[in-house]
Amino acid sequence: MIYQQVINGLMLGASYSLVAIGYTLIFGVLGLLYFAHGEVFMVGAFVGLYLVLYAHANIYVALLGAMVACAALGVAAVYVAVRPVAKDRPLAPLISTIGLTIILQNLAVYIFGGQQVAFPETIKQTLYTIGPITISSVQLFILGVAVGLMVLLWLFIERTKIGRAIRATAENHETAALLGVDVNKVILVTFMIGSGIAGIAGVLDGIKNSGVSPFMGLSAAVKGLIVMLLGGLGNVFGAMIAGLMLGMIEILSAAYIGTTERDLFSFMILILILIYRPTGLFGTRTADER
Amino acid sequence: MFDGLLDGYTRSILIFAGINVVAAYSFYVPFKTGQVSLGQAGFMAVGAYTAAIMTQKFGLPFWAGFLVGGFIAGIVGVVVGFPALRIKGIYLLLLTLGFSEIVQVIALSWDYVGGAQGFRQIAFNRYTLDYLVVLIPLLIWFFARLERSSLGRAMDSIHQDETAAEVMGIDVVRTKLFAFGLGAMIAGFAGALYAHHATFMDSSTFNIMMGVEILMFVVVGGGSTYWGPLLGALFLTLLPEFLRTLREWLELVPVSWMNFFPANRVYDFLHEFLDFENAKRLIVYGIILIVMMILRPDGMLTRDQLRRFSLPRLGRRHG
Amino acid sequence: MAELANEPCLAIEGLTKRFGGFYALNDLTMAVAQGAIHAVIGPNGAGKTTFFNLITGVLTADTGRIVFEGRLLDEARPSRRTVRGIARTFQNIRLFPQLTVLETVMIGEHCRYYPSILKGLRDLLYRPFGEAEDERVMRGNALELLEFLGLADQRDQKASDLPYGDQRKLEMARALATRPRLLLLDEPAAGLNPHETEHLDEVITRIRDRGVTIILVEHDMGLVMGISDRITVLNFGTRIADGNPREIQDDPAVIEAYLGEDEAP
Repeated sequence: MIYQQVINGLMLGASYSLVAIGYTLIFGVLGLLYFAHGEVFMVGAFVGLYLVLYAHANIYVALLGAMVACAALGVAAVYVAVRPVAKDRPLAPLISTIGLTIILQNLAVYIFGGQQVAFPETIKQTLYTIGPITISSVQLFILGVAVGLMVLLWLFIERTKIGRAIRATAENHETAALLGVDVNKVILVTFMIGSGIAGIAGVLDGIKNSGVSPFMGLSAAVKGLIVMLLGGLGNVFGAMIAGLMLGMIEILSAAYIGTTERDLFSFMILILILIYRPTGLFGTRTADER
Repeated sequence: MFDGLLDGYTRSILIFAGINVVAAYSFYVPFKTGQVSLGQAGFMAVGAYTAAIMTQKFGLPFWAGFLVGGFIAGIVGVVVGFPALRIKGIYLLLLTLGFSEIVQVIALSWDYVGGAQGFRQIAFNRYTLDYLVVLIPLLIWFFARLERSSLGRAMDSIHQDETAAEVMGIDVVRTKLFAFGLGAMIAGFAGALYAHHATFMDSSTFNIMMGVEILMFVVVGGGSTYWGPLLGALFLTLLPEFLRTLREWLELVPVSWMNFFPANRVYDFLHEFLDFENAKRLIVYGIILIVMMILRPDGMLTRDQLRRFSLPRLGRRHG
Repeated sequence: MAELANEPCLAIEGLTKRFGGFYALNDLTMAVAQGAIHAVIGPNGAGKTTFFNLITGVLTADTGRIVFEGRLLDEARPSRRTVRGIARTFQNIRLFPQLTVLETVMIGEHCRYYPSILKGLRDLLYRPFGEAEDERVMRGNALELLEFLGLADQRDQKASDLPYGDQRKLEMARALATRPRLLLLDEPAAGLNPHETEHLDEVITRIRDRGVTIILVEHDMGLVMGISDRITVLNFGTRIADGNPREIQDDPAVIEAYLGEDEAP
């Protein structure tokens, strides 16, 4: 029983991690709480769904398509809601991205209707039993993709030139610019990567819940924010671990305490972290220092 | 009041606009000390549920529920305000968001207030509009006085440089707590009015998007002057009504003028879009927000504009 | 009153502040006499700003005590210390950019006119649409200070619109409005042109003549030597000299550590 819950917790946590990675990357580079990120996740889910429904694409094409579409959306977001907005007012980019959130969510309601749409079965369900654990092919697939993505991202940030530029920019804009980093390009790339990952996470979430709804973005956004904070603002590795942790905490508290208390738990964690350890579990600089 | 003057539709729109104005002022008070709260909907929920419990479970009249609701919301505000003292910016935003979510979870899981079924059959308050007609001018009067008082100036100074204000002897803790508590109380009033007008609410009534909308009223109207929240809330609430009128004008255009390709398509699109169902209204809100942040990040009305406007009068007062 | 005159305005004993392993201030002991202009000088990073932050309560000392007018200065919050009678200016000007000049000075008055519910009700009853009684008094006091520093004509301008030199003066006016008995000036001459600096020593002397003890952190040696009664020299958080301007100028340790940098050929 407990093993089963651990698997469920990892599944839930992996999608939290994927969303939070985008948040924390963007926060690191821009110091911006990018509110629309949850909606990007939702758009990814719909793109995947439509590719499967109308183009009869297989799941890999759907994932790829969602990633590309969301990366493009991320770039569009930079040009529409981030770059033209006044830099000297800390609230302005936050509010313009809230505007983007509202637009995306309601555009989805307008186009797809306010109901949940079923996600067709794209992976043949088979159950594997390993000792005490039963795991389905779908679960294996989701976990595999999520972990694979995180490893890839880790390598990208640590090993590539542009990855180093992202880290330098997150450290300090001016210094990075002085060192010859093209900060504008770094911002664009960051948005592309973060949004692309969120798009894939959206499709995975659609498969897991066998359904997609225009309102799935908001709760993903809120959970992603908690995870980002838990992992430490701007700390990508922290976001990965913290996502898995939050997923585990939620599943275990739902299983052993009660389902309604589960959300209460995550928000209590949010508030306790804010009050007692605003740098997150794994430490990072605080937002004030930028 | 106004029974003979207004039809039910206009009345209902004015009531929602009025409640939004009150909610916008609830955001404005802590914002005046630099605290940005996404949790005002949460305080509205506290006020709404408290007031509804008072009227429904204890059989009190509306005015009593209204006062108790505001009072309890204010106390909750001070309690939330304490941890809020220590944190700023994005952290405060997350804290208030978390608070708002917790309120929702409690409303959802507490069967005494209806739980998932929602709080039903709240006594309808016939006098909501009358309450608003009294409450809003009172608020404006209060803020006008605040603007010219030492407390208001202290709040401004904290907004602009908290450390400098503290070093200059401003009691930052007390002032910020007061602002947070007062804002929560005003939100509680708005919630009580809302609950007894709508007569039904559930945990999702006061969700994050509502908190975001309240923030929007002030940001769009202008957060540096107390006229901003009024203007923003009225503008954004009444905008769909204006646009609906626009559609009626559109219908005045003879069909024969438009009966060729792209014009007929444009006509059809506008005609359909301007009916302003909820989703479309919100899309337009979103566009307005982004455009505002690009063109007028300080909102429609700023203190500098008002100052220029009223400088001669000020000069005389200094005399 | 006679014994008060013998008592130092500010007595500092063994004050230490560490940041990690770095001693910003190390076992500093010094006394500031009543009514003196006492300069604290030293090369960059000597701990001068930390010194100010400890006195005003922006930072908390690791060890040591500060005694102000014979009583331990143990208030934790800066605003409480301001109420006790200590005010300061900032090295990089920290005005409230959106407030007018007059409003800025009135902020300083606040610590002496606390709002209360009783006062609020009284004002509400007598003058429901006018301004509160305290406001009138505060405005009068603030105007008097603006006259004193020659800023009265700019009273309705936004603080951020003033020229740099006037912003410095406005910071002083705001600090004076708290009616301090001890005023800490953090590099008041920084960024001023020679003409403005010349005017500054006169301003500082006039403030002292109002009965305010002044601690001055400053790089401009002409200003420091010209007006200080006593000078304390810090280097790497430690006191290396203490005396009147004459003594300081001749002190080999000071020349070595500080003046040497600038004035050796």
